[in-house]
Amino acid sequence: MIDPLQTILIVVSLLFAAVAAVHVVLDRPTGGLLLGMAAVLELGFLAQAVIGIGQLVSGNRDVNGVVFGGYLLAAVIFLPLATLWALGERSRGGTAVLVVAGLVLPVLVVRIEQVWAPASA
Amino acid sequence: MPEGQPTNKGWGRALILVYAVFAFSALGRSSVQLLEKAGEAPLAYALSAFAAIVYAVATFCLARPGRRTTPLAWAAVLVELTGVLVVGTLTVVDPELFPDDTVWSRFGSGYGWVPAMLPFLGLAWLWHTRPGRAQRNADSPVSA
Repeated sequence: MIDPLQTILIVVSLLFAAVAAVHVVLDRPTGGLLLGMAAVLELGFLAQAVIGIGQLVSGNRDVNGVVFGGYLLAAVIFLPLATLWALGERSRGGTAVLVVAGLVLPVLVVRIEQVWAPASA
Repeated sequence: MPEGQPTNKGWGRALILVYAVFAFSALGRSSVQLLEKAGEAPLAYALSAFAAIVYAVATFCLARPGRRTTPLAWAAVLVELTGVLVVGTLTVVDPELFPDDTVWSRFGSGYGWVPAMLPFLGLAWLWHTRPGRAQRNADSPVSA
């Protein structure tokens, strides 16, 4: 749908999960590095939503608009909510939340691509 | 009555996020299915909706541990376990029964088998945090 943005989002999300996993293993609390990565990722997901909705409105593709918009929106609100949930627990368990978040985000991107182009899925 | 370790602390945090993700995805999937094509596969879609409710109850009750919610969390996770085992088996034995997929179809293979593992993690966590273990956890230097 939007390359290379979506490929970058997948790669950076997985990197985010890996960095969070290292924090969990080393028993380090969630700090500036992870929060900074989350902020950058969030900008990427906002861009994906804006571009995606733009493409949906301007194009006349046979796309399920409600499902597509729902996924774009879910991808925007997911990381901030997960981060707030992570920060509510200042221990490894809290940082483990960010590992889960980093693994869920690529799935959302792949689903968005599938909804956009069902034929090539 | 001795209080257990809260289910919404420590590693439970990450588990609850996984439950929340499944609650929302099952909720989303079942609403779309029921609103757009309810007649096509009523059993599969009703089951999707049921799964969504089970995940939502489990998420809420794990996130808000208490005298009433924690037993409900046990019940929800046990229903979830039963659901994924029964539906998983049925979809393997008789695929015709469910023409469209649900979260629990083929033991959750469409979701990376996470639906098959999640109830076991949920039960393990509820067991780990059950009342009566709180004192031992407090004494242990490695308690999360």
